[in-house]
Parts: sequence; structure tokens; C-alpha cells
Amino acid sequence: MTVEAPERVRHLPEALLPMRERLLANLVMIAQIPSPGGEEGQRVRFLLDRFAEAGVGDAAADEVGNAVGRLHGKTGNRNILLVSHLDTIVPATLDHNVTVEADRVIGPAVGDNALGAAIVSMMPAVLEHLEIELDSDLILLGSTSSVGRGNHAGLRFFLDHLPGKVDCGICIEGMQLGRLNFFSIGTARGDITCDVHPEPSRSYGTESALVVINHIVNRILGISVPSRPYTVIRMGKIRAGVAYDIEPDHAELGVEIVSHSDEMIDQIQHQVEDIVSEMSARHAVDAHLDLFFKTRAGGISFSHPLVKQVLEVMHSLGIEPDQGHSPSELSELIAREIPAVTLGISRGVKSRKKSPDYVLIDPILAGVAQLVGVILAIDEGACDEV
Amino acid sequence: MKSEQWLAERTFHHSNFWDIKWLVEEKQRQGLRISLCLPTLNEEKTIGQEIIILKAELADRYPLLDEIAVIDSGSTDRTCEIAASFGADVYVSSEQLVECGTHRGKGENLWKALYVLGGDIIVYVDTDIRNIHPRFVYGLVGPLIRDPGVHYVKAFYDRPLAYSGGLRPTGGGRVTEILIRPLFSLFYPDLAAILQPLSGEYAGRRSILEQIPFPVGYGVETAMLIDIYERLGLNAFAQTDLDRRIHRNQETVALGRMAFGVLRTFMKRLKREDLVQFQNELPSIMRQYEVGDGSYRQIEYEIEEIERQPMIEVEAYRHKFHPEG
Repeated sequence: MTVEAPERVRHLPEALLPMRERLLANLVMIAQIPSPGGEEGQRVRFLLDRFAEAGVGDAAADEVGNAVGRLHGKTGNRNILLVSHLDTIVPATLDHNVTVEADRVIGPAVGDNALGAAIVSMMPAVLEHLEIELDSDLILLGSTSSVGRGNHAGLRFFLDHLPGKVDCGICIEGMQLGRLNFFSIGTARGDITCDVHPEPSRSYGTESALVVINHIVNRILGISVPSRPYTVIRMGKIRAGVAYDIEPDHAELGVEIVSHSDEMIDQIQHQVEDIVSEMSARHAVDAHLDLFFKTRAGGISFSHPLVKQVLEVMHSLGIEPDQGHSPSELSELIAREIPAVTLGISRGVKSRKKSPDYVLIDPILAGVAQLVGVILAIDEGACDEV
Repeated sequence: MKSEQWLAERTFHHSNFWDIKWLVEEKQRQGLRISLCLPTLNEEKTIGQEIIILKAELADRYPLLDEIAVIDSGSTDRTCEIAASFGADVYVSSEQLVECGTHRGKGENLWKALYVLGGDIIVYVDTDIRNIHPRFVYGLVGPLIRDPGVHYVKAFYDRPLAYSGGLRPTGGGRVTEILIRPLFSLFYPDLAAILQPLSGEYAGRRSILEQIPFPVGYGVETAMLIDIYERLGLNAFAQTDLDRRIHRNQETVALGRMAFGVLRTFMKRLKREDLVQFQNELPSIMRQYEVGDGSYRQIEYEIEEIERQPMIEVEAYRHKFHPEG
């Protein structure tokens, strides 16, 4: 980034002010389109329409349904990837209508990740408004099948099949502004299912899948977890039963292992598998661990020029950086040795039990300015120096 | 034009006008200005969303709208603050045309909008819509831009009630199907072809809107249809299917009061045209009843249907819009 860069970035929020309503309108319209995993089609269509209207070349859905557009640069000497996942964990049956108050936008999954998708959809218009023409090609990606069991399938397909290489990546999440993730913690997620055998084997086993799952929970709690390297086992969801007077014959337990060490994840994964096998045999049930999501730990270093440039941009805009690991799409880029960061656009709250999700309006322009500043830095070589 | 022919030729779907760029070019070629009026009373839950989407898409992206204004009836919530924060012009109805006094009601806001707003075409969109989309505006102005013979366009919607087969109900709503359409069928059969006469979204040319009186309350939509029909005939109308509209549902007793107001407006016009005669003035008291704990209670509602004179008769308006006299 040139010497004048911090000054240039500082003025971006003001320069973006005329775009505020268009950014918010995109956020509202995207948030109102239900998009559970595997049903992202309408959001994909929305992004592609926006790309087409902005004159983005090669705007199309790929084989797995990702929305892809390429904004050609003057030289095309680099490929910068801007990615936001389009799917949410919210079922389509939920009321997706959004409320806009003076300071916030309220609605299901507005922060995770309607706002991220809205920014990707608007980036060509934002750059045009700011009269910025990049040297690099900017690849815009709305990825599908990302959350939950999707396991970043859309992004993985895209990265594995893109002709040419991605030189640098930015993953965009709606929240939280200041988020700067440049390394990915290793993660393994799976569901343990337990099905009770039909008669007569129940005579020597148990009659309740719930009880067996409970035994498994207790055994997992007994696994020794080190404090260094950082490692955690989470049991975040459990499901069994339909009525008070019927013992369930099926139960499920959601387990996640996160660690800075891939070896530790593998070790704990084997221990969990052993527990499940043992319980299966001891109680005469069918118990299995279905590991559907696994990312490796890794990332770029704190001293990487990209990290330095992001911090400089944040400093110029008065954004307090919050550095940490990310379970997002970042891991897919890192696994392919692509320098990348995850950035947030605004502040807000998600997944509260009694109140709907919301994002604050005021920080959005700073969030977009930050993104533009980082793109400019990459375009000027921030990722080239290592 | 017979009503069946009119129904076939002047009933559109909003997708007929999807090419907003063309609408803007044609609007500019014709030298038209278009104003959007959003009448409000305590609509803080929905006003922000409406303004953001309509301004972003139809003013910032495609300059179809020349102004977006909220005409407020005295909201006590944050409606005005929110509207202003997203770039709408906000007017408190009682502070406009002060010399004409003030009345409370949506019709009052629509009438004063004619004075406050500058457009040759005025688009009225209710502010309780939860699924707002640009089609709510371009679907209404499309027929006016495309055809100079159209002076007033009314919206209709798909109300998502259960139906089977290839036909769907007109979705006119309870007051429409039980009161308005039977009355139209009796006295103004042509107007029965307007599928949702009480819908809150419509657009008209200033040249006709300034010529007609505006009831300030429930009867404003019905009065507009009858009064424009009597001046210009059915050919002046068009209607557009705007697909689904999600909004608050009203209780039956509230609809009863609405029906009373509409009926008074209707009767006033029948009397004006000598289609009926009344020996006495019609009462303005609507009686409704509550039952609870073995007791019965009568509630009386005063529902006056005050009417504003045609705006063209207001001196300040003539001075502003027709200074040449």
C-alpha cells in the first residue's frame, strides 16, 4: 500500500454515504429470501442479477450452484477472491420478513450471512461508485452448501475446479466488524447416532437409546483434554424421543472437537470412535459416529504483509481489531495454501433464543470501506511479498 | 369499452413492466415527474424497509421516482424519525395547508399530498406492507407511462388463501366481496371489474386527482373510483397484479366500522347522482356490541365521512400549480 493509502481509506466511509440505502436495500432483499443449505437458488439468482446489472463478466452459476462473477481488472495479473456463504441455518418455513429501524436491521440470519452476501453482490457497484479500477481480477463468489453438513462443499468445488489459481482470498461475514481471522483452528464435527435393536436382543441390552447416548456423553466427558495446545470438546445438540411414555429407539448427539493441533483432533476422534464402538457392543445397539466436517489447523502468520495491511486499514478507519481463529470458509483457502483473511462488516447479535438477530446500520459503511481498503492493498501487492 | 374487454386489455401483471430502465427513459421523454406518497400513522415496524428498498431501487439506481414523501397523521412512535433517517421527505399532515384546517384520516394525507408533492403522477403506497418490493411502484406507474389514455391504476394481489384447480379467487377481501362488489354490481356495474377496489396502492395523474373530492376516512378509495369513473369512464382505469402482499390482518369488528364509512361515502354519491333518495340525513353513529361475563355492552362509534373539496378549488394549490390561472 502506498504512503497515501491510510488517508485514502479514511475518507472512504464518507464517499460511500450515497450508497448506504442501496447497500441496505440489498441486505433487506437478500435477508428476505429463505436460503437453508441446498436451497440457495433464489439467493444465487439475486447475486447473478446484480452482477449482470453491474456489467460483471462471466456471471453464472457453476455446477454445484455457486454464484460466480469475475470483475476483470486492467491487467488481470492476480486473482483476488471475495467469498460469502449464501446458506443459513434458518428453515425456510420461518417468517423471513425484515424490520428496519433507525439504527438496525432485524431479521433471521441478517448477520450470518445476508449482510456478507449483500456486500459481495454490491461490490462491483461500490467500486464503480468510488471510481476504482483494479489491476487484478476480482472473483466474486456466493458459495452454497457451506454451513452444517454442507461442509463448505460449494467453496471446495469452486477452488478445486477454478481454471487458474486464487492469489489471495477474503471471506466476508456480516459480523463482527473488527474481526480479523488469518488462521483456522482445526475442527472435526460429527453426529453420534444410536438405534436400539429390535426384539429380542433388547432382553440383554437397554430399551432406551437416550440412556445409551447418556452413557456416551459421560464417557466423552471423561476424555482428558490438554490446555496446551488449545483443545475443546463440545457437545452442542442432542435429540431423542417423542413422548413421555415411550422410550426412544433413536437418539442423536452432535459433537465438535476443536484444537490448534491436528494431531490432538485425530487422537480425540479415535477415542470417541472407541467409546461409541464399546457402547454399541455393551448395550447391544447400533451406535455410530458420522464425522461430516473436518478442517485442518493452519493459516498465515501474524507477520504476513496481508495481516499488517488489514491492521493498517482498520487503524485508519478507527476499527478495533479482534484477531482470532475462524471456523469459516477460511480453512478451505488455507488448506490450499492461499493467503486469506476473514473480515466482518458490522456489529450485531445472532442466535439469541428470545430476540431476533440484528445488525447495526452505522458500522456498515466502515465495514465496506475496510473491505475496499484491503482489496486495494492486495491489488497493490500485499500478498505478493512472501 | 365493455367491462369484459376492459378486464382483458387493461389488467396487467407487474412483470409487464420489469424493464425499469425503459420506464425511466419513457418518463423522461414525456417530461413527467413522479412522486411517491407514503401515508403513515405509527408504522415504525415497516416504514424503514419500504423507504430503503423503494429509494435504493427506484430513485438511486433507476431514477423513476423524483420524490419520496411520508405524510404523517401524527405518529407517536418513531415513524417520522426512521423515515427521515433513510432519506424520505417527512411532512406532518396537520402542518400543511394550515388555512384549510386539519382532519384525521388517511384520506386527509392523500389529499394534502397533492399540494405538498410536485409530481405529475402521484403513487400512493400503504406503509404496513411487510414484503415491500419495487414492483409495488413500477407495476402501478407502468400503465400510466405506457398509455396516455390511462389516468388511474389500481393494485390487486394474490391473497394466499387455499384454492384448488386453475382458478383463484379475486382475493378482494371481506369488505370488498360482501359490500363493495355487490354495490358496484347494482349501481356501477363497470367498476365491479376492478378486482380489489379497496387496495391501498394506486397511482393517478395529478390532472384527475386534483379534480375530485377526497373523503378523509375509510371511503377515500371507493370515492376515487366512482368520481374518476363519472368524469372519465372505465377507459381511464387500469389494474395491475402485484402478486402477494403481506400485511396486518384486521379484525372483523374493525372491518365493520370500515364498511360503515365506505357505505356512507357510497350513499352520498348515489344521492348526488339521484340514484337513491333518503328522507332524512344518514346517521354517522356505528353501533357494535361486546359480550362478556353475562353482560352486554353497546359501543357507539362516530364515523363521519368528511370530504375534502377538489384540490383544484383550493386557492393556495392553484397559486402553486396553476399560477397562470
